[in-house]
Amino acid sequence: MMSVPVVETRGLVKRYGDQVAVAGVDLRVGPGEIYGLVGPNGAGKTTTMRILATLLAPTAGEAFVAGIPIDADPIEVRRRIGYMPDFYGVYDDLRVWEYLDFFGRCYGVPANRRPTMIGELLEIVGLGEKRDAYVESLSRGMRQRLCLAHTLVHDPVLLILDEPASGLDPRARVEMREILRELRSMGKTILVSSHILPELGEMCTGVAIIDRGEVLRAGTIDEIERSLRAAALIQVEILGGEEAVAAATTWLAGHDGVGEVIRIDEAVDGPARLELPFGGDDEAQADLLRAMVEAGHRVAGFGQATTDLEEIFLRVTGQPRDEVEA
Amino acid sequence: MSATGTTFGSGRRSAVREFGSAVLTIMTKELRSRMRGRRAFIILTAYLGVLALITYGVYVTVAPFVLENAGQVGQGTSQANASRSIGQWIFSVLSIFQIILVSMMAPAFTAGQISLEREKQTLDLLISTPMRPGAIVIGKLVTALAFVVLMVVAAIPITAIVLMYGGASVGDIVRQQILLLSVAIGFGAIGLFASALMRRTQAATVVAYGAVLALTLGTAMTYTFWTELATRDQGFVIGARPAAPEQLRWVNPMIGMLDIVAGVEIDGPTRFTAPLYQLFGEDLAVSGAGFDCGNFGCGRGLEPVPDPALDVLLPSPTGDHWWPRVALTFLAIAGVLTIASMRLVVPPGMRWALRRRRPARFDAATVEAAPLIEELGEAER
Repeated sequence: MMSVPVVETRGLVKRYGDQVAVAGVDLRVGPGEIYGLVGPNGAGKTTTMRILATLLAPTAGEAFVAGIPIDADPIEVRRRIGYMPDFYGVYDDLRVWEYLDFFGRCYGVPANRRPTMIGELLEIVGLGEKRDAYVESLSRGMRQRLCLAHTLVHDPVLLILDEPASGLDPRARVEMREILRELRSMGKTILVSSHILPELGEMCTGVAIIDRGEVLRAGTIDEIERSLRAAALIQVEILGGEEAVAAATTWLAGHDGVGEVIRIDEAVDGPARLELPFGGDDEAQADLLRAMVEAGHRVAGFGQATTDLEEIFLRVTGQPRDEVEA
Repeated sequence: MSATGTTFGSGRRSAVREFGSAVLTIMTKELRSRMRGRRAFIILTAYLGVLALITYGVYVTVAPFVLENAGQVGQGTSQANASRSIGQWIFSVLSIFQIILVSMMAPAFTAGQISLEREKQTLDLLISTPMRPGAIVIGKLVTALAFVVLMVVAAIPITAIVLMYGGASVGDIVRQQILLLSVAIGFGAIGLFASALMRRTQAATVVAYGAVLALTLGTAMTYTFWTELATRDQGFVIGARPAAPEQLRWVNPMIGMLDIVAGVEIDGPTRFTAPLYQLFGEDLAVSGAGFDCGNFGCGRGLEPVPDPALDVLLPSPTGDHWWPRVALTFLAIAGVLTIASMRLVVPPGMRWALRRRRPARFDAATVEAAPLIEELGEAER
């Protein structure tokens, strides 16, 4: 049986006058998934998330959260989602537990359940010791985690987290990632956005790469990687002197499906390393290796060069690195 | 798993309870951050201290004068009434001081309520909860006014000193309180509306105080100039010019307070209120019982103080009361502006939140108008 997707959008469009922020986005996120929306700033991630959080009405298209159309029953949708915007403030002059208590009330959590709920949430986000501290005394990473905790007060099925790791130092990012994993193990479905693919790559079960309001690629990270690596980058290590390397280079260049062969290190001793784009699947790669060995080349290493996820992302969105980082 | 965790059900009764609980939620949070620490208590203590000083000051200044002149021909106050005269002086000064203070403070407490949430980017978190925007706005207004109300109510014991001297009755104090509270709510709502309208707190404060000036000095000056022009010798002009509309006085809190103060004055507008009476024309002073004290008419005077319980809201059988109109006008202003603020708090994309019943779909008009409205909103962001 096919379970009801937690998030589903069909042809979601959002226009601001002439400008198209979201141009027909189709998403489908199953229960328990961590789904990443990746794209440069202004790609339409935030708009899509705000539509799902019932803060914006779509110009066209449909969106469902847990099977409920967002425009038919927004209040019911809100009870099922926890939303963390990309930019937000916290009430400085409240204590941490008061902050969560406030949002607990906002979502109608009964008074007798709130103290336990607050304790549990603070444990999850690692702020247990800060229960009585003022929000203004928290570091940025802690505030981010507090905001994450606030999305959980009403035990929603879906978390919509817009750039939860932005502006955090590497350590805080790791902590955030750990928390998201834990939440997933608790059965939450998480829709998370980032403009940096690697940040999401490790933990996401699915990713949609968005640019200029359109989904360019969607699927698991592996699927996307594979579809992008029509020309995988192969690294080969050759033993022997310069002559052997030159012979191998010539041989490889003459082989079907191999692009330009580059020597990437000039080590005096040890194997020489060659890198070559190769347009073939795993089978073809194995065949290439066997053929090389049979042709008498002394292969010390053979494998796919690990391309940075960021490179994949850039290849898809077709933008120079600086623009994306900015 | 999710919806079962909440207490809210459906149906009208639970909708009311839901609304009430949301208002309480906002109030609890606001009071937690507002009343914490010493600030609120220092302000309150200072305020009451100033009121006590004024009371003492009026007594010290007025008592010798009144006692010296009492019983003399042409002074209007008999020996027997000297004590009441002092009481009336104190009541008048305290009332006018308080109405000015409330007019100044109420907008100050509300003008940042919504714009600060915008500036600190906390509004998104708030409006993405299932709470109704109406509950958010009313919760904010009630909390912001709570402190003003506290100040007004805490001053009752000081005002009640006049009961010792006589001259002003419990009914007068009740009337004074009703007017002070209505004006506080009205000006508070004006501040809140400005806060919802403007994106910046600074701008909201300017707008709110502009409105306060317009409703106090503005209406007074307009009324005076208008009356002056209308009653001037019209020469060859055929037909009388229309008199200034009396509604101009309904929106002026000072008028309301002067009306109440006039109700207790024995000697008529020979005191500090005289210029203010003149400002608004003499017919103002027909309020209260028609004790004859010259052209201006004046308060209840030496007549026995009526039963306060009956006199609180009922207009005097012998005269016209202004203050209930002023109070009602301010409550009406508050109602209209609170509803307007609710509309402004809701971002253009979620107008559905304003409807009472959950709609089945966005209507066509919303969808068509949305991009235009949101373009404006987004451009500002």
